[in-house]
Amino acid sequence: MSIARWTRRTLLQRTAFAGVALAAALAVGPQPVAAQTLDKASVGVLALSSSGPIFIAKAKGYFEREGLDVTLSTFTSAQQVPVAVASGDVDFGVTGLTAGFYNLAAKGAITMIAAQSRDEPGFPLSAYVATNAAHAAGLAKPSDLKGKRIAITTVGSTFHYMIGILGQKYGFTVKDVTMVPLQDVPKMVAAFKGGQVDAILAPSTVARQLVADGAGQILGWAGDETPWQLGALFTGPKTIQTRRPVVEKFVRAYKTALAEYHAAFNVKDASGALVKGPGYDALLTIIADATKQKPEIVAAGLPYVDPNARLLIDDVVNQVRFWQSEGQVDKALDPKSILDLSFIGQ
Amino acid sequence: MPDPINTPTSTQSTLQAVRFRGGGFHPRRHPWAALAAFALLIALWEGTSRVGLASPLFLPPPSAVGRALAGMIADGSLWLNLKASLLRIGVGWSLGTLGGLTVGLLMGVASVARAVGVPLVSAFFPIPKIALLPLFILWFGIGEASKFATIGFGVFFPTVIAVYSAIDSVPRNLIRMAQSFGLPWGAILRNILLPGALPGILAGFRITASIALILVVAAEMIGAEYGIGAFVLMAGNLMQTDTLLAGVMVMSALGLTIGALLSLLERRLLVWR
Repeated sequence: MSIARWTRRTLLQRTAFAGVALAAALAVGPQPVAAQTLDKASVGVLALSSSGPIFIAKAKGYFEREGLDVTLSTFTSAQQVPVAVASGDVDFGVTGLTAGFYNLAAKGAITMIAAQSRDEPGFPLSAYVATNAAHAAGLAKPSDLKGKRIAITTVGSTFHYMIGILGQKYGFTVKDVTMVPLQDVPKMVAAFKGGQVDAILAPSTVARQLVADGAGQILGWAGDETPWQLGALFTGPKTIQTRRPVVEKFVRAYKTALAEYHAAFNVKDASGALVKGPGYDALLTIIADATKQKPEIVAAGLPYVDPNARLLIDDVVNQVRFWQSEGQVDKALDPKSILDLSFIGQ
Repeated sequence: MPDPINTPTSTQSTLQAVRFRGGGFHPRRHPWAALAAFALLIALWEGTSRVGLASPLFLPPPSAVGRALAGMIADGSLWLNLKASLLRIGVGWSLGTLGGLTVGLLMGVASVARAVGVPLVSAFFPIPKIALLPLFILWFGIGEASKFATIGFGVFFPTVIAVYSAIDSVPRNLIRMAQSFGLPWGAILRNILLPGALPGILAGFRITASIALILVVAAEMIGAEYGIGAFVLMAGNLMQTDTLLAGVMVMSALGLTIGALLSLLERRLLVWR
């Protein structure tokens, strides 16, 4: 993929007609370094704002500064990234955590080394949306979802887990709801609009569009109800063994970008409202370019990241236990065995 | 010496026996060849895993797939999934085939129907049914109807094409002969066109049966709780590669069974050949 080159080119163009912030960004950015001094590495990402820190680290030259020449490979579904890491097609990956991810990890193919984004109160990423009919019949808050028909993408997806933890909070299990797996969001929306299900779990843009179309009501946000660790940065155990310095450099550059992302997008004022941090517009432009989305759409769905890349370990353990109780992940898997947090010092 | 020509031991050395040069180009049955090929393939596959050429994650050995399959049989999920899929394939394929036979027959005998039908079939056949799934959900819901429709539509168009081209390939001189003997139109259809087109139509069935098997996976993308397609999709999503291959095995076994049934049907119906 040429995303990397592409971003750099646009970056250079933009500086031509002067953005002060971007000019500053370029000052610390790609300096001409002799090619042979750079270690090559590749990272698998999705073109989503949850991969924002990687885009920032790439565009602002943090990888080069650490002596890494990093290639970005863009994938279209969360499932493909850990597979690509397991097969050795890419060295690192950042995506959401699914049952399939843990099954690959259980076979010793991947190891989590740092956090990606997480669901946090005040950061609307995934909504519980009720159809108008179900809403009129009394489906008014997330705890009412017990006993309802809910469309999800697939068994083992992040949506499946979100229903699981919602149940843990309100005292029901996934057996108490009818999950309807429809593979992807367009089919979920079709079933929702056709009144085939009572509710769906939807990404924020889709949820807001459904409300704007008058098709349903947002009952709440998963981040407010059940904060959890959405995604992680991971690599192959073999990479950690044989190329430890590369992993260290990669994580350092990643953390620099994470801290910058956190300061720009995740800081709240005393009243709890989000404030625009330093470099807000420049970073938003980088993410909007990389995800090929309009900046205002990106801004509405920017997830929370921990500035030090710390994982919610308790939630990762809970995820593994949940998938094991659902019979979808090998019972023998010890969640701690798939973590190597020495790189972030957690 | 009653027949000196065909007797090789003939004392007349000027006459040589002619070797029989007919035969060949004749489909014969070799039931063991297929079995041997399968056995060899499986042995090779198990071998690469045992030797360590392929990691069990990327290519689970047949023994692991066998264990997954045995697990499916033991907990009864195999039968549950198979039953759901067989119903969908059966109903969907029958609906699509009935429709396809009717339309294909019309297009085969009536030139107006063909003039209308050929461009329509060309326009609709290449549409991937998977792309239409969201529409099918809106039209038919997420119950069984949308699954029948997905398979039915997939089967319909190839059947139409198979039927009208099979009718085209019936030798015209047979029809002309029947006409010159004064056979009525209906009798020509029944005694010449349909039997003549039958080999082509049955070959079409072979293709549409496979299409129905392929489409059952697509159909079961729509909120199916059970079904061999839903099972394969789920195993893929969970990265359980051995279970995935066990599901795929069941599907190919299903394909083999349907193929064998069609061969039986061909032998019964085409006995006049």
